[in-house]
Amino acid sequence: MMLLSLALAFSGFTALCLAMDKHQLEPSGTARAAGGSTRRIGWVGWTLLAAAFAAAVLACGWAVGAVLWLGAMTLGGIVITYGLLPYRPRWIKPLAYALPIAAGVLWLVEVG
Amino acid sequence: MKQGFRQSMAWLHTWVGLLTSWLLLMIFMAGTASYYRQEISRWMRPELTTAPVSQEVAATNAVNYLQANAADAEYWHIQLPDARNPTITMYWFNPAPKDGQADGRASRRARFGEATLDAASGTPIQARQTRGGEFFYRLHFDLHYIPVLWARYIVGFCAMFMLVAIISGVITHKKIFKDFFTFRPRKGQRSWLDFHNVSAVMALPYHLMITYTGIVTLMLMYLPWGIKAAYPGEEDKFYVESLGGLSEPRPASGTSAPMQEVAALMESARRQWNGAEVATLRMDHPNDAAASLALTQRDGKALSIATPTLRLDAVNGQLLERGGQAGGATATRDVLMGLHLAHFADAGLRLLFFVSGLLGCLMVASGCVLWAIKERAKHARSGRVGFGLRLVDALNIGAVAGLPIAFAAYFWANRLLPLDTLERPQAEINLFFAGWGLATLVGLLHPRRQSWAWLLYLGAAMFVLLPVLNALTTRAHLGVSLPAGDWVLAGVDLFALAFGLCLGCCGWRMQRWQPAVSAADKRRRQAAAVDGAPPTQVARDGGVA
Repeated sequence: MMLLSLALAFSGFTALCLAMDKHQLEPSGTARAAGGSTRRIGWVGWTLLAAAFAAAVLACGWAVGAVLWLGAMTLGGIVITYGLLPYRPRWIKPLAYALPIAAGVLWLVEVG
Repeated sequence: MKQGFRQSMAWLHTWVGLLTSWLLLMIFMAGTASYYRQEISRWMRPELTTAPVSQEVAATNAVNYLQANAADAEYWHIQLPDARNPTITMYWFNPAPKDGQADGRASRRARFGEATLDAASGTPIQARQTRGGEFFYRLHFDLHYIPVLWARYIVGFCAMFMLVAIISGVITHKKIFKDFFTFRPRKGQRSWLDFHNVSAVMALPYHLMITYTGIVTLMLMYLPWGIKAAYPGEEDKFYVESLGGLSEPRPASGTSAPMQEVAALMESARRQWNGAEVATLRMDHPNDAAASLALTQRDGKALSIATPTLRLDAVNGQLLERGGQAGGATATRDVLMGLHLAHFADAGLRLLFFVSGLLGCLMVASGCVLWAIKERAKHARSGRVGFGLRLVDALNIGAVAGLPIAFAAYFWANRLLPLDTLERPQAEINLFFAGWGLATLVGLLHPRRQSWAWLLYLGAAMFVLLPVLNALTTRAHLGVSLPAGDWVLAGVDLFALAFGLCLGCCGWRMQRWQPAVSAADKRRRQAAAVDGAPPTQVARDGGVA
């Protein structure tokens, strides 16, 4: 559950990053998205961050969960900004899809 | 002189940050290491074995040892083993000497005794003498070599400056949302500013929390006057009444009486607590008819550091007192202190705290380097390097490149100092400061980029070779700890390896770095090449840019 929160925070920040004009071209290099589409990606980002909060609360309760959520966003944020965006931009999108799925599967295996 | 709000905040941020940055970096690094102080203590005592043992057995062993060695003490304090610390640590307070010496502070200190026991056997541990991770924990707020009271004022002063620097930094940072994900490497000063901003913004909740709660942990020392006014002459009473602790234990009766088994007393406490574990025991007036045992519950998963306490009659087992219910203000303080100490954090969350702490170190380090880079540009225009910049360069080299060497030197000393060294723990600590001092000396004598690179390489080599040294000097190395799945010992070795590689990368970048050439500079150089004049001096040496 904690891993799921980390993965969702990473994907949420990825979406928010891609919704910004200045970072659109870095990960894929294709043409810019239209205004409506970036707004949608932004909403997806906020929703994923909210989901990360839910996962953190389910993992550790309200109080410690909130702390975990902030820590997860810090880690997700620096992995994107210090590591992937300047050095491996093409990895960002695949990881943003793969990590939450992998973490979700791991969680299901743990529960089931 | 008319300045905008943002400019004056930028000025404040620059100077408040710079003045305290070198000490703040040490405080941040020591605090970050303290998240793993138990683990570091175990790594630094590789002789220890970890046989899990029940709390009752451990407590009985502790009491047996104290009965044999300190039966007439005024009180005993016992810290029981837990998942992260396999030993029993205890101290006791011996009775005043019979010849009636003055009750000065020094003679009081001489009356304390202490011991660390192996939990399973109940005998003093057979391990090398070291302060272990406790040194970093104390260094974080007590510094070293100077009186504790001064140290705490200095640390509090730095923390207050840090808080001012964080708030003024947020105001100064114009594009905090627009530049949220922005880090542009290989662009000179721009990259350093980006790096500084990202390390600050990504962990901003952590930085604010840790600085503010750090001040809260010592607030009663910094602002004692309210208590002095409300409880004149009896400040102890304030702590009992408002912090929800136990009151003073009852005085000794003077007649001796046999005490109950400590395991039985713990069992009755656990019944009161619906089965919760006991963390510490304090026995007042052992072997007296008025002996009493205070028990503290293990802090569990809650943010607050407040844990239930009980006092039992050690002779008949009756419940004497329960720790009071804290009021709203105390409960708030307990949560803030809990956030700072992070006792509630399990392995995963602890790692996140550690990462955030490292980001804090990077923020402070990149901040003071950034100051030197900005200043250098000004000096380059005037053509000579001033004293202030040289001094900052030297202190930057001493702190940013030197502190990793100091930490590594402490670990190397632990493995290499002979086991019978006189005052061995202090000798290890002296080497920590020797590492820092020597690096600063190198910086003062030669504040150049080569000093940066070679000191970073030295730190890198000391950390990368730490697992090798460990393998050569102990039987607790990676070849043993990894197959055994002992992640505490392996974790310290692996982190040292990774950290050393990072330092090595920094050193390499520093050595290979070429100053960025602006278009104007290029034109000037081309013109100079035609005239045969050398390029400006400052652009070639100097620290980093």
